[in-house]
Amino acid sequence: MALIKININGKDRSVDVAPDMPLLWVLRDVLDLTGSKFGCGIGACGACTVLVDGNEQQSCQLPVSQIGHKKVTTIEGLSKDGNHPLQKAWIEHDVPQCGYCQAGQIMAAAALLKKNPHPTDADIDDVFAGHICRCGTYQRIREAIKAASGSAK
Amino acid sequence: MSNRKEFSRRSFIQLAGGVGAVLVLGSFSSLACADADAKAGLKKKGVVFEPNALVSVEPDGTVTVTIIAPDAGQGSRTALAMIVADEMDVDWHKVKVTQAPANQSRYGYQGIGGSNTIRAMYGELRKIGATSRMMLVSAAAKTWEMDAATLKTANGHVVSADGKKSIGYGELTAIASTLAVPTAGVELKSADHFKLIGKGATRIDNPDVTTGKAMYGLDVKVPGMVYAVIERPPAFGAKVKSIDDGDAKKVDGVINVFEIPSGVAVVAKNTWAALSARQALKVDWDLGPNAELNSAKISSQMKAAVKDHMEMPAGSKVVESSLEFPFLSHATMEPMNAVADVQADHCTIWAGTQQPTGAQGRVCSLLKLAPEKVTINVMLLGGGFGRRLSDDYIVDAVNVSKAIKMPVKVMWTRDDDMRHDNYRPACYSSFKGAVDNAGNPTGWSHQAIQSGMARPPGPFGASGLSYNIPNSGQIHGAVRVPVPTGAWRSVENTLLNVANECYMDELAHAAGQDPFEFRKKLLTDERLLKVLEVAAEKADWKKPLPQGHGRGIACFRGYGSYAAHVIEVSVTGNKIKLHRAICVVDCGMAVNPKGVEAQMQGACTDGLSTALRAAITIDKGGVVEKNWPDFGWMTLDAMPNVEVTILQNADHPGGMGEVGYPSVAPAVANAVFAATGKRVRKFPIKVSELV
Repeated sequence: MALIKININGKDRSVDVAPDMPLLWVLRDVLDLTGSKFGCGIGACGACTVLVDGNEQQSCQLPVSQIGHKKVTTIEGLSKDGNHPLQKAWIEHDVPQCGYCQAGQIMAAAALLKKNPHPTDADIDDVFAGHICRCGTYQRIREAIKAASGSAK
Repeated sequence: MSNRKEFSRRSFIQLAGGVGAVLVLGSFSSLACADADAKAGLKKKGVVFEPNALVSVEPDGTVTVTIIAPDAGQGSRTALAMIVADEMDVDWHKVKVTQAPANQSRYGYQGIGGSNTIRAMYGELRKIGATSRMMLVSAAAKTWEMDAATLKTANGHVVSADGKKSIGYGELTAIASTLAVPTAGVELKSADHFKLIGKGATRIDNPDVTTGKAMYGLDVKVPGMVYAVIERPPAFGAKVKSIDDGDAKKVDGVINVFEIPSGVAVVAKNTWAALSARQALKVDWDLGPNAELNSAKISSQMKAAVKDHMEMPAGSKVVESSLEFPFLSHATMEPMNAVADVQADHCTIWAGTQQPTGAQGRVCSLLKLAPEKVTINVMLLGGGFGRRLSDDYIVDAVNVSKAIKMPVKVMWTRDDDMRHDNYRPACYSSFKGAVDNAGNPTGWSHQAIQSGMARPPGPFGASGLSYNIPNSGQIHGAVRVPVPTGAWRSVENTLLNVANECYMDELAHAAGQDPFEFRKKLLTDERLLKVLEVAAEKADWKKPLPQGHGRGIACFRGYGSYAAHVIEVSVTGNKIKLHRAICVVDCGMAVNPKGVEAQMQGACTDGLSTALRAAITIDKGGVVEKNWPDFGWMTLDAMPNVEVTILQNADHPGGMGEVGYPSVAPAVANAVFAATGKRVRKFPIKVSELV
């Protein structure tokens, strides 16, 4: 165990955990931020996606000791009141079914729009080839990203 | 709870369907049924009006609908609430839902399967909503000293005939609570007055899902809870010979390692410690009697079980064919998990389950406790598809908690989940049929031999076909192999309808006819014919396609609903590319059209995934596939545009969870034939295996 400092959703947190513990389990078991989901444990499904310094990161693949001073944003910290353009578009386009993968999908979309405010279908395909939705909400994910890309900063 | 009265005062109304076989439309005074468990968390300020077990109205006008059917993504929490809210004439924004724990004596059977939720509960929920509304109207009539028959309702208010008086439902809770529940004279809305039913609402859980607040089983944390994973046998039926937990116990945070019926439990202070210790654990397994079992042997067994087909009429052109299906995993996004807190005289479970009352019964029998001593808290399900009809993961949590005397969360990893599922059975379909010189089918014999541990299906005498074909018959046989099997979205229809619709295409070809026209002339069910025709029309069926492209068509009738699909593909080298997916459904009244569209898109994704990618392979007595990269599922980049058409009508709602699956894969296989002139004999489709 080791005391490790990390910045999550703008707050400095100190966690006493095994240095190799992936960020996902720090978030879920230690910090009670359960919005990031466990889906595969090998970075293959995207359910655990968070932002690290604004970039898409599968949190099941990032040992907590490697985060350093980088800033982590989870679904809980994406916006103050759930009013990020992507969150609003997700509701309006009724994207979720079971909803389990959707935090990861939204965070991946947030990283995409940050880099590329007006993504083409091919840009969306590139990112979302690494995200599984077992309910098959793909078409609405695409629609919601396109709707939000008009207003996302 | 002080205002609780004896449950024996309730009257129960028996429903025709399976889900919610008993619902309560009370003949008791309205405060009688404040069930502490179902209503936990509901703040009570002033008098809350509770006309029945499922509805409560608070003084601020908030209406809470208790949902007895788990939500696995099919949208029950939204659609069931919509039905009640529409009959109550309440503002949708004032509606909340609460998920009922298992309570057979209060709610009857609780479970989701057979696409039953809405079609079984629709009528009763409408009555419940209408009765609640009628009581609020009576309360206003009493307040105003007016004739109730002259009053109207809108947006959660009772309004006088001249429109001069209006009062919110919340202001009527105290008086309404003193009224007897009417047993007669309750009128349901006519369909043209629906404001929600058939119109659609976005999912009630969307705000929580999009902010990470939605609670699934895996998100539960209770005081004092520890975490466990289970090292499971590498082959079905393997037994533990010896355990070396020396290294595992050195992992920081490990609490204990011990054997339970399903494997070796590793308990720790957090998930990562449990996973790390399991990695360090050494278990020597006796692989048991199934160590040599593999998919090739199972395939041979199934083929060997095919008997002689019936004779075809003399003079007809005989067409023989076959189709093979692999086992499939459910692979829900959220792997199996449960939290259990077993105490001396009580057990509490938190889990996503498709059958709360069944799970309760299982825990009761494991622990020899009465139902009132076993609480099953139903969390959101991160997918079901039939997997969470099983309660093996709940049993794991009970066994571990019982052993360590602490609340525990047992989590299955993706590997555990994929390698220890109750799989869709593998199957081998053998066909012999014939067409005459005029292009009419003269015989149809189908033998479907499935394999697995499930109860073998009874042999069907009739073909089960929707087509009018003489001399038709079907045998649904089984070979018993030690691979656990269970219900998978649309169950036997994942095999039988897929096979039938592929073979139908072959017969059409042998008859020299267009596969759409061939089906059309043989269909007798008007609703099925209609969805097929609309699908062909939407797909521009007659319009020529470029070289290398092909369209396939297929249809399905089941669960009280009708579906048809046209899929367009192109084949280049070994690659099959999907271009369009046309889905048409008639499910009677589509209560929430947005939900119906989502089910059709989702079922289409499943159909495409299992047609082209996913399979479970058996080797050395266990499952080969371990994680998503091995069990190819469609991702966004590979999906065609999925165009859903809903033929909305006012008929009783049909089931939607499963109807969209069974005609997708055959439409793909038939499209591949149209593109290449070669037939699919095995799923998932590989161009190199076409014949």
